[in-house]
Amino acid sequence: MSETTTELEPAHDHALLHGHSDLPMLPGEEHPHPSPFQYVMIAVILCVITGFEIAAYYLDKAVPESVLTAILVISAIAKFFIVIGWYMHLKTDRKIFRRLFMVGFVGSLILYTIVLLTLSGLADT
Amino acid sequence: MAQAALPITHDTHGDHPAPSAGVTNTKLGMWVFLSSDCLFFGAFITTYLLYRNRNLAGPTPRSLYNIPFTSVTSFILLMSSLTMVLALAAIQRNDMRRFKVWVMATAVFGILFIGGQVFEFTEFYREGMSLRTNVSSSIFYVATGLHGLHVSVGIVWLMSLWGMAMQGKLGQRDAEAVEVSGLYWHFVDVVWIVIFAVVYLIP
Amino acid sequence: MTAVPEVMPAPVESGGLDLFRRPKETSGFWSWFTTIDHKKIGILYGTTALIFFVIAGIEALLIRLQLAGPNGTVLTAGQYNAMFTMHGTTMVFLVGMPMAVAFGNYLIPIMIGARDVAFPRMNMFGFWVFLFGGLFIYSSLFTGIANMPNGGWFGYTPLTSTPMSAGYLPGRGPDFWVIGLIMLGIGSTTSAINFVVTILNMRAPGMTLMRMPVFVWMMLVVAFLTVFALPIVTAALIMVFFDRNYLTNFFVAQNGGDPLLYQHLFWLFGHPEVYILILPGMGIVSEILPVMSRKPLFGYSVVVFSGIAIGFMGWGVWAHHMFATGLGPVAISAFGLATMLIAVPTGVKIFNWLGTVWGGSVKLNVPMLFSLGFIAMFTLGGLSGVTHSIVPADTQQTDTYYVVAHFHYVLFGGLVFAILGGIVYWFPKVFGRMMNERLGKLSFWVLFVGFNLTFFPMHFLGLTGMPRRTYRYTEGLGWDTLNLVVTAGGFIIALATLLFVSNAVWSWKRGPIAPADPWDGRTLEWSIPSPTPEYNFAAIPKVEARDDFWHRKYTEDDQGRLVRLPAGGSGEDAAVDVSSIHLPSPSYFPLVLAAGLPVIGYAAVYKNPWLAIPGVLLLLFGMYGWAIEPGTAED
Repeated sequence: MSETTTELEPAHDHALLHGHSDLPMLPGEEHPHPSPFQYVMIAVILCVITGFEIAAYYLDKAVPESVLTAILVISAIAKFFIVIGWYMHLKTDRKIFRRLFMVGFVGSLILYTIVLLTLSGLADT
Repeated sequence: MAQAALPITHDTHGDHPAPSAGVTNTKLGMWVFLSSDCLFFGAFITTYLLYRNRNLAGPTPRSLYNIPFTSVTSFILLMSSLTMVLALAAIQRNDMRRFKVWVMATAVFGILFIGGQVFEFTEFYREGMSLRTNVSSSIFYVATGLHGLHVSVGIVWLMSLWGMAMQGKLGQRDAEAVEVSGLYWHFVDVVWIVIFAVVYLIP
Repeated sequence: MTAVPEVMPAPVESGGLDLFRRPKETSGFWSWFTTIDHKKIGILYGTTALIFFVIAGIEALLIRLQLAGPNGTVLTAGQYNAMFTMHGTTMVFLVGMPMAVAFGNYLIPIMIGARDVAFPRMNMFGFWVFLFGGLFIYSSLFTGIANMPNGGWFGYTPLTSTPMSAGYLPGRGPDFWVIGLIMLGIGSTTSAINFVVTILNMRAPGMTLMRMPVFVWMMLVVAFLTVFALPIVTAALIMVFFDRNYLTNFFVAQNGGDPLLYQHLFWLFGHPEVYILILPGMGIVSEILPVMSRKPLFGYSVVVFSGIAIGFMGWGVWAHHMFATGLGPVAISAFGLATMLIAVPTGVKIFNWLGTVWGGSVKLNVPMLFSLGFIAMFTLGGLSGVTHSIVPADTQQTDTYYVVAHFHYVLFGGLVFAILGGIVYWFPKVFGRMMNERLGKLSFWVLFVGFNLTFFPMHFLGLTGMPRRTYRYTEGLGWDTLNLVVTAGGFIIALATLLFVSNAVWSWKRGPIAPADPWDGRTLEWSIPSPTPEYNFAAIPKVEARDDFWHRKYTEDDQGRLVRLPAGGSGEDAAVDVSSIHLPSPSYFPLVLAAGLPVIGYAAVYKNPWLAIPGVLLLLFGMYGWAIEPGTAED
């Protein structure tokens, strides 16, 4: 999969490939957002994780199902947090955004886990 | 909901003091909406998890998945997040030429993703799995379909930004409007990350 | 705090789409269609909700006429189903929630010292969606009364999700209900997002969170509950819609679906919804009691934190609506315990209110009567609520009139009493005239008697086994007399409503002109003229304390007695050039955008894709017009 990244990288774009960001800050930004170069590097990391996920999927004969599930869940969580942290700037923006989003995200995790537990496991006891 | 934060919704309030949370209303509103949308998609993913292992007649989505194909479309959507942040970086430095390129690239990646989804749905239908074949197929179509609807709204939004940029109506001062549209777009991508792992990959 | 650069709208050459002349009128009939003034929108919400309240009351009276005696013949079984469904749906979605939004819209900005809400046009959009959603559901009346929504306000599956062709529920009623509720959900979500952002981000300098009036705090909790609860029920309703119309089997047990999943999703929304309904009432009462007792609210921070605690714990008790469905002992015990626990913060609040009144110089006027009525009736309803947490008892009470008695004590005795008290209390601020005191007291006492006559006997009816949602009973079951009393009580409530509404209408026209601060209030809204000027505050206030306005009027001498400060403490006399205040201009586009939704709704109900096209076009047109239109029209 990850070969495709090379053609998407703005290789022609040397001016943008410098390290730290010198972009003007946006309202609500506490620390500078990543630079375009860092954005591309993050994309590379995301691609590697995705490649890993798909590879793991094809190894399903070789590894126990629970290990495979764990790998996939951890990879998805990693990608989730990378995107919301750097692409959606929760790492660098004011904390209020992070808190608001986490209420909904963690809240839905807890609530729906209880629903699933109640509907599947607990009812049979 | 998208209209909530379409560009240029900054209403002036005369001498109104600085925002008490130190952020702009639009961005704050978008984050509240995204937080709320977590529970919307959560409900469908929960339903999928509940119904995925029910032993049912007819082909189930899991027997038909074409993982290489969906991996490619997922990858395209992931890359659209990259082009989206590059578009934002471009408009922040008032580089409107690159902004137009990146925002269009994002929309095109989105269209490719939707195209892939249409192809996938058609393919599954041809192989005998319709919306009503079994509960597993129903929730598959409804959940991924609603995600596709979210992507489509995002595409319309991005195309409008592109159109406004072409008319010269968009400039550096609108960087925040682009950021807000980007938040929506990345969120849709994040939801797909979860759907791809939970619905497609987990055995 | 980093200063945020003021974002100015782009100088657009033409004022957006030139199809419409940009509306500029801020008074007159048409201004009500284009206004984005939070005060006018609040009035629109309030009057519309009051009209729906009367409609829901008529439905309730029809139900009561049917049940006045054994073997009632007023309604058929089908019509009865439609009536109790519409009564519940109307009261929850078209009266309770929009009433809270009405108060929130009008009061939040003037309580926190803002000129408007965060998203004025989205605010108006929310109102139109609410109005169109309500009219959409009620338009099913044209298909016949028995074909109106008839699956209960909770719309339990598989009853509602069975396709119409199977003949379970006649008509397209449940489809109207499903689509209408999704629309109303969009409206309430937009207004809730608006409130969250307004309260978090638009407070006047010095108005810290812990200086906000309790009503604003409660509305913040309510807005969060709305934002998180509505998407859940929207998801469930979408699945019901697919079950009914596209023959999926999400909730059909014999084909692998799980009807209990619907109940989980519905009550995961439905229980926070209960707090969405009652917390604004608690906020209103927490404003009225201190003013009428001339004492600060007893334990402000405790009241605020128990409100937040209710908001959190409200998410952990949903399954107590499902005790009779066989959840299993673990789940039942956990949810039963959680239900007992949630009574704690509620009880704390009741003691705080009592502590506020205790030892105060109480003015027993109409708003105070309604507030005290609220405390008494809500406590009774709360107590019968705790009995539901005892699971074996709940199994006995489920689906009987005992439950009907319980939730009418909290929602009518609680919410409606608070709303009526709030209307009397803020009437002078909104309309510049006082409501008639004697007529107000009369309507309170008539309502108080009628309410208890109606709902108290229901406890006994329920405990002797009278089931809910059953259109007829035979004589000789011992229910005849009590049912007659209940029906008589219902008509007394109707009389009280008539008295109250005529008082409001008469006072609106003829009532004595109100001063800016008729009740000797404590919060910022009383520091500005009555009725509120269009710009709210000539100069944005600087807040230095909780109950800031009170401290500008009074100080304490060394014995702790109140001493009135010389007038002039308020910012009103500061000479401010009011004409320099720029407010966002009126707009047609919220109306255009919202008008697209019912068109798409009819397309969905009648499965006519062609009809969806004009709806989508309206939506797109509205969105683009909205996006291109500058917030403030050039002069």
